[in-house]
Amino acid sequence: MAANPAGTAARILRAARARGQTMLTEHEGKRVLGAYGVPVSRERLVTTLAEARAAAARIGYPVVLKGCSPTEAHKTEKGLIAVGLDSQAALSAAFRDMKARAGASFDGGWLVQEMVKGSREVMIGMTRDPVFGPSVAFGLGGIFTEILQDVVFRIAPLTKRDALAMLAGIRAAKILAEVRGMPAADRDALAASLVAVGRIALDFPEIAEIDINPLILRGRKAVAVDALMVLSEEGA
Amino acid sequence: MSADAMRKFFAPRSVAVIGASAQAGKPGNVVVRNIRDNGFAGKIYLVNPRGGEIEGLPVLKSIGELPRGIDQAIVTLPAFATPQTVRSLAARGIEAIVLAASGFAEVDEMGEALQAELDAAIAETGVRVIGPNTTGHVSVPANFTSSFFPLGKVPRGKVSYVAQTGNFCGISLRHIMSAEHFGIARSIGLGNKADIEESDLLEYLGEDDETAAILMYLESIKTPRRFLKVARKVSRSKPVILLKGGASDEGAAAAVAHTGSLAADGRVVEGALAQAGVTRIHKYSQLFHVGKALDCMPLPAGRRVSFLSPSGAFTVTLTDICRGLDLSVPKLQETTRKRLQKYAPPFIRMRNPVDIFGSVGLHGYETAYGDALEAVLSDRNIDAAVVIMMLTTETGVPSFDFLVDAAKRHPAKPVYVTFMGQHEHNVAAKDWLEPRGVPCYMDVETPFEVLSILARCRENMRGR
Repeated sequence: MAANPAGTAARILRAARARGQTMLTEHEGKRVLGAYGVPVSRERLVTTLAEARAAAARIGYPVVLKGCSPTEAHKTEKGLIAVGLDSQAALSAAFRDMKARAGASFDGGWLVQEMVKGSREVMIGMTRDPVFGPSVAFGLGGIFTEILQDVVFRIAPLTKRDALAMLAGIRAAKILAEVRGMPAADRDALAASLVAVGRIALDFPEIAEIDINPLILRGRKAVAVDALMVLSEEGA
Repeated sequence: MSADAMRKFFAPRSVAVIGASAQAGKPGNVVVRNIRDNGFAGKIYLVNPRGGEIEGLPVLKSIGELPRGIDQAIVTLPAFATPQTVRSLAARGIEAIVLAASGFAEVDEMGEALQAELDAAIAETGVRVIGPNTTGHVSVPANFTSSFFPLGKVPRGKVSYVAQTGNFCGISLRHIMSAEHFGIARSIGLGNKADIEESDLLEYLGEDDETAAILMYLESIKTPRRFLKVARKVSRSKPVILLKGGASDEGAAAAVAHTGSLAADGRVVEGALAQAGVTRIHKYSQLFHVGKALDCMPLPAGRRVSFLSPSGAFTVTLTDICRGLDLSVPKLQETTRKRLQKYAPPFIRMRNPVDIFGSVGLHGYETAYGDALEAVLSDRNIDAAVVIMMLTTETGVPSFDFLVDAAKRHPAKPVYVTFMGQHEHNVAAKDWLEPRGVPCYMDVETPFEVLSILARCRENMRGR
């Protein structure tokens, strides 16, 4: 965790506000999360293919390439994600394709990301309930978030015990256990991420909504590979 | 909320009924009868512009004639008169007021305007108010009630109710008294919650020595985050059980229309209440099924159940029910098993659940059931026992003393009774057993539902 997570996050938010953004880019969102100690994928924001290649070389293949814009919340639907790019050639082709698809009006940069490998995906969310206020969600991630709606909520602030109860509270709680040769998830670390999201919600009332989906279980550790933070009109 | 204000509501030394009536059946008359029927020892002042006498008590013609220093006022006047009455009562130094009238924000715009006027009167005078739109409240340790629903003498018990309905100072309390045979400590109908709301009462009852458990019915929560904070604390020391009206989308829409409050996401409500250690129930009847068990039996230490059954079908289907309720029907200790075998026909291998039919045939009811109940209650693997009685004129109706005695010998383990057989005998057995502290349930599944709920209460108290 950063020495002063709220300070770091406040700078990121202030800058985004100054640019008139209504949401944080994935990269900005992850920097906020990272400041609060939530494990996020290693990544680099670039603007040119040459920078993308340099970043990929540093991160190590295979990599993921994503369009990263403060106005684009639906990267998958727009074809702005390419995964499993295992060579410079593959990266270059994907970069040219994606740039063409994004079109001239695209206002963002390009995110070169480590490919986090793991077949178990979970999600962490935050919504502001009209009655109870900031609420943290935990559930199955990826496409199963919508399909199975297997999600539990707790109200921020969360204690570690609350967070651990959330991990045990989804129907598919076994996904965090040792299963099919995969190790049991690091529950303490995942619980700490849930507590952190609750803290972010209380520290920054202007964040209306957080959607970290998925966090991929790489071995025991859950790593955030995508993050959306929506800002509200008021509270800036 | 100050202890003194709560004392004035729950242990008043004197009370004034504003709008007292000589006419039987009118709220202003029923209140007076209720107060007297419950043996209230404090002073009772009645106010009605007509003066005279009501129920043998003198009637003052105006609030201005009341002496100073009265603890509490109950107002049964219509809604339009309420705001001014609050101001007049405050001027006489009365700080605790129960407002019965309906016709405020719950009905229409005019009512809303009236409630705004009432809110202003409360804010400006600093009085504390239960209601409006409430049946009132009951405080048995003080032999007191403000309810205008005919109650008679309410028996004393250990559980308290907080409800966004008048039912638990009215019809449901009558059901509890007449059909479920238990008493209560306090009960409050919240009404429109112009002032006093569920969090105030939860906080008060959490500290109240007369209250061993709190059962709530709520459609909305006025100060949600405070409620969670208070509940989180109280649920560690005593069971806090909640039926949340409006749990379905359709029900929530009705509650929004009813109270004008915003509806929370159902999944958020679920999580919030779990986090606060509130044990949620989903059936209205559980409010008194669980209340009864809490009034006369201990909380189960865990989820391990034994039951005595006169039918093989019950041993099977009720084991299924237990699984669904997260209760276990564990193996008995070998010494217990051998003891059960002593009275059983040799061809039956006794186990948990206990098929008692053969033993009854050989040794009669009291020996077979009595010894088996003693055996399972003494078993280290068992936290609670359910006895399914088989009562018919032809097969005989035993004395039920053995049930009362067995429960007394094992004060840490709940014993519940249910029936299958001849209805009149079941009802008679219930009527006899419940006043002696053994809860009975007319449906065979219910005692298991109650155990499951109370096991959750226990876990919430442990802070699981």
